Amino acid sequence: MTLPRLSLAAALIAAAWVFRAPLEADPVTHILVQLPLLALAGALLPGARGTGGAWNRGGWAMILTAIFAMAFWMLPRSIDAAVSDPAVAASKFLSLPLLVGLPLRLGWPRAHPLLRGFLKAQALAMLGVLAFLYTHAPVRLCNAYLAEDQVRLGTGFLATALALAVLWVAPLLGAQGAAAPARRHRSVS
Amino acid sequence: MTTTTGAMLPEAAYGPQEGAVKLTMLLGGVVFLLMMIFGLIMRAAQGGMIAVDPALFYQIMTAHGAGMVGTAGLTGAAILWYFTGRHVPLLAGVYWAFLGLFLLGVVCILAAIFLGGYAGAWTFLYPLPALSGGLWGPGASVLFLLGYVSIGVGFLLLHLEVMRRLMARYGGIGGALAWPLAFGKGRPEDAPPPAVVAAMASSVFNTLGIVVGAAVLVASIVNLLVPGFAVDALLAKNMIFFFGHVFINASIYMAVIAVYEILPEYLGKPWKTTRIFAIAWTVVLVFVLAVYPHHLLQDVPMPGWALAMGQIVSYFSGIPLIAVTAFSLIVYLRAADMRWDMAAALLVLGVAGWSVGSVPAILDGMIVVNKVMHNTQWVPGHFHIYLLLGEVAMAFGFMAWLVRRPLAADARPGAARLSGLDHGVFMAYVAGGAGFVLMFLVSGALSVPRRWAVHVPDWFLQDRLATLFAAMVIGAALIIVLRYTAVLARRAE
Repeated sequence: MTLPRLSLAAALIAAAWVFRAPLEADPVTHILVQLPLLALAGALLPGARGTGGAWNRGGWAMILTAIFAMAFWMLPRSIDAAVSDPAVAASKFLSLPLLVGLPLRLGWPRAHPLLRGFLKAQALAMLGVLAFLYTHAPVRLCNAYLAEDQVRLGTGFLATALALAVLWVAPLLGAQGAAAPARRHRSVS
Repeated sequence: MTTTTGAMLPEAAYGPQEGAVKLTMLLGGVVFLLMMIFGLIMRAAQGGMIAVDPALFYQIMTAHGAGMVGTAGLTGAAILWYFTGRHVPLLAGVYWAFLGLFLLGVVCILAAIFLGGYAGAWTFLYPLPALSGGLWGPGASVLFLLGYVSIGVGFLLLHLEVMRRLMARYGGIGGALAWPLAFGKGRPEDAPPPAVVAAMASSVFNTLGIVVGAAVLVASIVNLLVPGFAVDALLAKNMIFFFGHVFINASIYMAVIAVYEILPEYLGKPWKTTRIFAIAWTVVLVFVLAVYPHHLLQDVPMPGWALAMGQIVSYFSGIPLIAVTAFSLIVYLRAADMRWDMAAALLVLGVAGWSVGSVPAILDGMIVVNKVMHNTQWVPGHFHIYLLLGEVAMAFGFMAWLVRRPLAADARPGAARLSGLDHGVFMAYVAGGAGFVLMFLVSGALSVPRRWAVHVPDWFLQDRLATLFAAMVIGAALIIVLRYTAVLARRAE
């Protein structure tokens, strides 16, 4: 189970690296494709030993780690630097798998269902706020991208919010979806 | 009560939370009273009976609007929590977090209004919070909006807890909404009780409203702090009214759970989930989300289809639930030997007020009527009917039920009738409330504008009569709240 996951994670990171130029040429693919790919790669990595301990009770430690790392990559200047500065680009390829994807995987299953629901609702609302910010900003937010690019990115955030809302709510309509969160609420070893 | 899905939890499971709910209703009752007094002050000022500085008038109006909507939501949520707790175990900590966040929000809102001078109405419509003409600073607006954010987070937690428990117990959202019965081959005896269906539906649409509301609140805060981020005014209005419409409707839909759960005790027979009932609640779920454009009928840049949808959905929105609930109630009342007391009377009044209030609301939801009536007192006329005589009546009914005498003391069914002080208080509430809302409707029909601090003498008659009726309502409400407080205090000793 570990080897295929590791292989897939490596493949995702490799894809994000190989197709770096076309992906980063457009903020929509940079933010909404490349960054999630890297985070997904991190989520596929095997869990580190010890994260099931008391220090990570409720998944808080890992989830907070992921939230702070995501907050850093939500800043337009971070995205700008990732395009222009090789050191920041390298940190992106390291931090998104290791500080976002992996911590989410290690923290999410231990999180209380209520916290998971709250974070999902918060994510949808925040994507809506980002959509507003990027479509209404009076100035260019990134030096690397044009003003019309950021408007398209704002629209992309809105589309992502709608897609995630459907993705998260649709399974809850039936009986199977309702039972799933309870089963997933377990410790990670 | 004996079916798998309809079985209630033992009282020991939900009893401990009764104290938190009783405290909430006490707070709600007191705030309702204070906000009613604010309303009386405004009507007296409009009638030239007292002098109120216009700047203060709009602060009072803002506090009255936010306070009434918030307290309607608070009491509705308390009812939802209390009766949902009968069917599924709920985390008490979530309720305390909800109440704490709500009170934090109230502190922010009151400080923003009475210390910061914010007077941009509870609807915080863009760009008014940022354009005060020097009456208040952006800091006051931000504080007001942060108060909303705090309250919204509290409601989100409460609804998430309710939904996850109901989903786990009844088989997803669809199961809790009784979809197998509504659209499949499910049997009525296997369907969840009406309180569960109502709790799930109102939690779903209120959660959606809160998520949209959070986005527009943050956008407005960003605009206040960095004015260069100008909000698209029409988009902001759509989002605000989606959130506001859903929230205030949710408060009524949550409160009606008290009717489904309490009145059967008086009727002597359970309120059942039928196929029509289940379909009605699902339709309501869609309609509550789709009908909000009827608040934007005067916004000409709105797409024509959206306005047409707002009008058409307005036509139909009264049918599925009010008709089902009101009609069912009439059938139950006719067939049963009703045991009347203050709680039962107020709950039945709540359904009646809710139903009657929908008529002027539907009228105002028609584009040709709205063109003339929208900025008149017709609008506060209709929403005061289904709030004062609807939601608030249900909340007071729930309070009266919480401190009711044991049923055994009421002798045989049908023997108990409202009498003495109860009868007087109830009639004062009904007559005062009906007279008060009627004055709004009459003024609206005469094209008296709404939200004006100063009225011309030609409009004084309705204003002064409304003040008189408001005093009647306040007197009745005061007795209801005082009696509730006294009984709670006596039982606590």
